[in-house]
This record gives sequence, C-alpha cells and structure tokens, in this order.
Amino acid sequence: MTFDWSVIWTHRQALLEGAALTVGLTVLTMLLAVPGGIMLALMRLSSNRLLQSASLGFVEFFRNLPLILVIYWVFYVMPMAVEFQLSPLVTALVALVLNVSAYNAETFRAGINSIRKGQLEAALAMGMSRRQAMFKVVIPQAGRRILPVIASTWVSLFKDTSLVSVIAVSELAYTAMQIRAQTFRVLEMLTAMAVLYWLMGYPQAKLVDWIHRKYGVKE
Amino acid sequence: MNNDITRAPARKNADQPPVLVYEEVRKLYGDFVALDGVSLQVHKGEVMCLIGPSGSGKSTLLRCTNALETINGGRVLIDGVPLPAQESAVRKVRQRMGMVFQSFELFPHKSALDNVAMGPITVLGMRESEAKARAMALLEKVGLSAKAGNFPANLSGGQQQRVAIARALAMEPEVMLFDEPTSALDPETVGEVLSVMQKLAQEGMTMIVVTHEMGFARRVADWVVVFESGAIIEQGPPAQIFEHPTVERTRDFLGHLGWNG
Repeated sequence: MTFDWSVIWTHRQALLEGAALTVGLTVLTMLLAVPGGIMLALMRLSSNRLLQSASLGFVEFFRNLPLILVIYWVFYVMPMAVEFQLSPLVTALVALVLNVSAYNAETFRAGINSIRKGQLEAALAMGMSRRQAMFKVVIPQAGRRILPVIASTWVSLFKDTSLVSVIAVSELAYTAMQIRAQTFRVLEMLTAMAVLYWLMGYPQAKLVDWIHRKYGVKE
Repeated sequence: MNNDITRAPARKNADQPPVLVYEEVRKLYGDFVALDGVSLQVHKGEVMCLIGPSGSGKSTLLRCTNALETINGGRVLIDGVPLPAQESAVRKVRQRMGMVFQSFELFPHKSALDNVAMGPITVLGMRESEAKARAMALLEKVGLSAKAGNFPANLSGGQQQRVAIARALAMEPEVMLFDEPTSALDPETVGEVLSVMQKLAQEGMTMIVVTHEMGFARRVADWVVVFESGAIIEQGPPAQIFEHPTVERTRDFLGHLGWNG
C-alpha cells in the first residue's frame, strides 16, 4: 500500500478554510449559547410558572434529541412548516445554538444554585434589585465556578460542529470528506482531519484551564 | 439592691418619635412560630442589643426589619411608615439600612475596595471615582486602608467583617443591623470587630445588634432586649438586664452563659 501525503498539501487552502469555518462556527455558537443558557437558567429559577415550564421544556427537548436529528430537522422539516428556508450555514448555527443553550442552561442553573443564599441577601440588603443582584453578584461568581464545565462543553461543541457536514456546510469535516471523495485518499485525509481537530482542540482546552486558574475565585 | 424598676428608665431620644416600631410582629415558618407578636421601639441613636438563646427569634426580627423575611402579621414601621410590599419601595427602605451578616458575605470576586464601592455605584449611581474615594475613607475608618486591594479570600475573618461594616456604611444608612457579627470569628479577631462597632455607636449610629457577646451588650448597648421562643421576655437598660433581671428566665439564660454581673 502506498501513501500519498502530498494530497494534503495540494488541498491545504480548502482544508484551512474548512478549519477556519469550524472555529468560526464554534465561537459564534458559544457567543449565542452562553447568553441563551443564562436566560434559560434565569427563566427556570424565576417564580413565574410559565417561564419555568417553558425553560424546562426547551432544555429537556433539545438535550434529549441527537444533535444530528436537530440539524436535519431544522434544515428539512422546519422549512415545510414555516415556508422559510435558511442557508445551510445559518441552519447549522441555529441547530448548534439550540443544543448547546440547553446544556449551558443546566450548567448555569447548577452554578447559580451553588452560590449561597447569603450572597444574594447581602446584595438585596444594600438595596440592589433582584436583577442587579443576579447580574453583579451571583452570575459572575457562578460563571467562574462553572468555567471548567463550559470548557468541556466548548471542546465537545468544537468537535460536534463536524455533524453539520451532513447539510453540506463546508467546515473541516465536510471539506476533508469532499477531498477524500475526489482523490480516494481515505487514510491520508482522515489522518489529516484527526491531526487538525486535535491540534486545534487541545490548545483551546488548555487555554480555558489557564483562564480558570487566573480568574477562578478562591473562597 | 435597687429594686426600683417600676419607674420607666429614660431612653435616648425618647422624646422624639421612634425610628423603628415593631407592632405585634408575627413570623411563621410552616407550623413553627418564629416571632409570636413582638412589639418593640427603637429610638434614634440608640444601640439596641437583642440577646437570647439560639432560635429565639432575634435574627428573624432583624431580617424582618429590611424585608429579607416577610412577616405574617403585625407591622414594621420605619419613621412611622409601614414597610412597603412593593419591591421598588422595599429597595428604597433597604438603602437606608446597613446590614452586617454572621458569615460576612463579602463578594469574593471583588476586592475589598470594590466591595465597599459597589453599593454606591450600583444602587446610588455614583461615579466610580467618587465611590472609590468614599470606599477608601471608610476602609481607613475600619483600619483597613492598607488592604484595599485584597480579595476577601486573602483577609482574616475579622478583617472581612470590618470590610463588611464599611460596605454597609458606604450607603450612609440611618440604621445598622448586625446579625451575630462576631459569631463566626476566631476569638482573637472578635475584639477588632467589636471595637469598630463601639466606635460607630459612639458616633451616634442607630444600631440593632443580635449578639452573644454579653460583655459588648453590657458595655455598649443603651437598651437590651431578651428573646425566648419568639417573644420578648424582658427589656431594659443593660444595668437592669445584667444586674437585676426581673424575669427568672433571663437570669437562667445569663447564668448559662456564665454571666455573673
């Protein structure tokens, strides 16, 4: 069996573009799914029954569906219902944000619940509103506490973006598969893909660890 | 022995309307009666110590004062106005009262200075530079200006509690509420917190202090209130409570603590 690693170099431009899109999709998804998760967590913790159940329903729905099914569903089924077709890239983003928001909601809820009640009371006793107490005192502390969990969600998400290749979003996995199909260089392309994912994923995980060490709150 | 306790002792600013009035305040936790019709008045500039066994309702009464707990009956009046139910109005009332907690409750993600400046910035909308200048002056007052940049994790318990007092003072409150401020402290740091409180009392701050520090109550309080089972069993000036308690159970309680006048 002969190997032809030059195929990677030949297609470096496409692979790099794919990798850039993978990173971009991860960053954009997290930028939307962190506020989404906070909002869902606050709805769940509010005293309003309607908000509570809406949040619970959302979280349990999207947490228990395979991500790939959500991607298919947003791409193929939703347009039939609303007569509105999103581009593959936006579809991918919507599906990822729905899924990751559900996970982040649970993470933030656990984080907020882990901050002792006295912190909220101290903020309220000063005359802060509930919203101020949440956003200035409770959530900043909860955020630091859950950073390791968000970091592993981040790394999972980074890899899960490969699932959107099923709707032809040309991120790294899709691009690599396309090259494989054109060149029949299966082993080389799959290896290149693994190396690229790992090389990009590992420093991200380390970066978050470092952020946690630097900004984590000691008590 | 002086038994002349039928004559009402003169209280500080008794000629003026009281700052705080509790009227038949009731508080229930499920079936448990935490406060069973408590009536009490606090006058301006008075240092009032609430003493009594654990679970007797002292802290609950304090927490009902700034609506951290809602009451199930009776009224709490601040300057003659009942504690409002509406959240925005409650916030206005809370701004006029500083609270110091047993477990300090400093915000661990903020430096000592930022902890103190946070209320004025967030609640009063004060400019950051002005709030920090005020915070620095207050840290100076509690003897911690050198620790302004420290985070709570790098302060001793006594230092944390002094920062917490400065934080409460930053809102320029009319009344200070202390909920067992020294109960979580190592014995060697109790004194530094009590001396800050004593200084505050000398400046004329109206203070309600839930405490197990009988020495402090005896020395600093103008008025001492003894709680048991959600009710007031005796109240009076410290000389009366500590030297000539009229109620047997007060004597028992003080005896338990080894207080012998």
